[in-house]
Amino acid sequence: MSLLQDTLNVWWKEVNEMSHDAGVLIFFLFLPIAYPLIYYYVYSTELARDIPLAVVDESHSSLSREFVRKLDASPEAAVAARCADMTEARLLMEKAEVYGIVRIPSSFLDDIRHCRQTRVAVYSDVSSLIYYKSFLMPCSNIAQDMNKGIKIETLGAASMTDRELEISREPIAYDHVMLYNPQGGYASFLIPPILMLIIQQAMVLGLGMAMGRTRERNNGMAIYCGAPGYDSPTAVILGKILVVFPLFFFMALYMYVVVTWGFSLPHIGNYWDWIAMLTPYILACSCFTIVCSGMIYRREDSLLIFVFMSVPLLFLSGISWPSVSIPPVWKFVSWLFPSTFGLNAHVKIMSMGGDLAATAHEVRCLWIQAAVYFILACVQQKAQISYAERHGTPSRAIERMKAPSDGMADDNTSTLPAAQKP
Amino acid sequence: MLSPYKDRIARVLRISRREAGVFKRRPLLIFCMLVAPIFVTLYFTSLMEQGLPDQLPTGLVDEDDTQTTRQLVRILSSMKTTGLNHRYATFSDARRAMQKGEIYAFFYIPKATTEQAIGQRQPRISFYTADSYYIPAALLMKDLKTLSELSGLAVTKETLTAKGVPQSNIMGILQPVVVETHPLANPYLNYGILLNNLIIPGIVIILIMITTAYTIGMEWKIGTQKSFLNKMAGGSVPVALTGKLLPQTILYALIFMANDVYLYRVMGYPCQCGLAPMFLLGFMTVLAAQAMAIVLFGIFAGQMRMAMSSCALLGVLSVSMAGFSYPVPAMPEVLHGLSYVFPLRDYFLIYVNQALNGYPIVYAWKPILAMLTIIAMPFLFLRRYRMAFNTIQYKP
Repeated sequence: MSLLQDTLNVWWKEVNEMSHDAGVLIFFLFLPIAYPLIYYYVYSTELARDIPLAVVDESHSSLSREFVRKLDASPEAAVAARCADMTEARLLMEKAEVYGIVRIPSSFLDDIRHCRQTRVAVYSDVSSLIYYKSFLMPCSNIAQDMNKGIKIETLGAASMTDRELEISREPIAYDHVMLYNPQGGYASFLIPPILMLIIQQAMVLGLGMAMGRTRERNNGMAIYCGAPGYDSPTAVILGKILVVFPLFFFMALYMYVVVTWGFSLPHIGNYWDWIAMLTPYILACSCFTIVCSGMIYRREDSLLIFVFMSVPLLFLSGISWPSVSIPPVWKFVSWLFPSTFGLNAHVKIMSMGGDLAATAHEVRCLWIQAAVYFILACVQQKAQISYAERHGTPSRAIERMKAPSDGMADDNTSTLPAAQKP
Repeated sequence: MLSPYKDRIARVLRISRREAGVFKRRPLLIFCMLVAPIFVTLYFTSLMEQGLPDQLPTGLVDEDDTQTTRQLVRILSSMKTTGLNHRYATFSDARRAMQKGEIYAFFYIPKATTEQAIGQRQPRISFYTADSYYIPAALLMKDLKTLSELSGLAVTKETLTAKGVPQSNIMGILQPVVVETHPLANPYLNYGILLNNLIIPGIVIILIMITTAYTIGMEWKIGTQKSFLNKMAGGSVPVALTGKLLPQTILYALIFMANDVYLYRVMGYPCQCGLAPMFLLGFMTVLAAQAMAIVLFGIFAGQMRMAMSSCALLGVLSVSMAGFSYPVPAMPEVLHGLSYVFPLRDYFLIYVNQALNGYPIVYAWKPILAMLTIIAMPFLFLRRYRMAFNTIQYKP
């Protein structure tokens, strides 16, 4: 039989098997459809607003009150309490009613009037760094702004023209431009890479479970021996790729349309560049996960092995933790996973508007991974076929013998512990 | 004849011994209970060894290239977080480098900046951060902003000196209000302390939940559920579940303790409350995670795979819902109360109260109550379990 026909036979058999396994469908359909929505919802506010803090104003001057007013007006922080002293404010911190304290010293106005530096102290809970950022940013902005006002007063504002005033306030003006995520939102930063990670994780969990099903129903064999097409390793791998590739390609499009575009996450990239990146990514994921799934012997094992890897993989990619700060050992390890390149390439194209030239390195690595894992998968498959030929009996007879309606017979492979037998 | 009380204990122990026998034959369980937690601990602590990332690649476009701007650049390159190691001829080159991921930020000094500054014509400099990468962008922003502020102040400083203002007063005029920051309990903003303290327990909780559902479900999978309940456990669901999960409770509690010792004694992460309360917290967290899994398994009575999948989905979600990366008060209102359902969220709040900040424990009553409630939840499902044990078959 030709390779094409074998491939199609395998494809048809795998589609049939997988679509009858609710567990596989959870990972192939529910996970990629629902999880992006849940994740987006968690981060949908994008920014932390009005985080409560306490103010201890020991100066009681008009200038210190101006500082507090401006602090309360800032988007990040909200003055939830004005305390008489630090003890009172600390109590509020302990009760977790506020997450920070701003203390304005009693010498605040005196210092300023005498041309001395005065120190406004910001105490922050750092259980989350966002609290710290929400207090530090407005405080330093207000301080810088006030400094400019005080400076020109000291320099003699009365004798200056408006333009002179402006220049004296800020002899060199500056801008900070936040590129690609202008409001500095958390969802805009985290959701795009997570979408790509979900693809790889859903694929590995689903394929692992499908492999467990195959083995459980097939006397421990990784293939349906006897079924048409399963004697050619290449056909088996191509057939499996043909199952997952279109499915996850569609899921990626769904994620793009519903999540990225629908929720207005950054999507400034060229659509075709993105497709050109997505193709090798899903291909590399398919081959990689087929190799991984070969390790699975029971349906549920795939959950035990692959789920906990999700968080380490996100950090390994260099999205959450800067890749330059990743120790070399882990850097080499990260090259084993398509997610490392896929996540970065997706961010570079979709979030940062880069073209294929900008992601040339990632795309090249993804193609290499696809090729290497394809060959590995074929070698693995060949070993499994020859193993099945040596040890296997024609699978169909076994399938008929082990009627799936009988739950007892499902796991009585040789690996079952004796203690668990009735 | 044993008293009913002693009989129950004997049965629990017998079932536990049987479970422990299973561990020996299933290397995968050992992998989940020992190898994976140890790997995760070593992985994350070595990944964030640096604490606070420094020398992050930063670019420079200096179109002016005068002695003054070079001085600025020298200041910038002496900063700790900024790794000024890329120079670009034009703005577009720098932007393209950013898209390629070569740099996380760049500083732009346009032509004639010095000339305009001397001539009092207010030049404008700028810096750009790639905020698709959250942590490096936030860190670099601080450095680059400081530099931009300084550059303006430097000009005024020269004017003031020329006017004969005494040195002691110059800083008081330039920068009268200084903001002093005190990140409590983590003064160097060590990301390891921020993240590892929660990510590692978070992943252990995922593993606990999945292995719990797996262990319980195994009875259905091999079809022994009915005889197991009625013969081995004497018809008592609590005995059956306790016996099955006891070995894991002990092992995971030991994992938590070992982690505590490693993080707080070896790595030196702050632990104001001492190890004993953290051991207790770890033990409670193990129970809460197991209880969560028991409840989920009860909901999908006998449907092992559904139970395991929901454990996995909730477990992974709890890493976000705990609120150590993105705080819960900033999330949509609905999630504020809901977050207490996740054992990791409760763990996080109690850990912050006790280990990180060392506050009085009474103020952590909410997460403690939530955790105890989670631990008690399985008792609502006893009838359902009895039904599942007796009537439900494993569905492949």
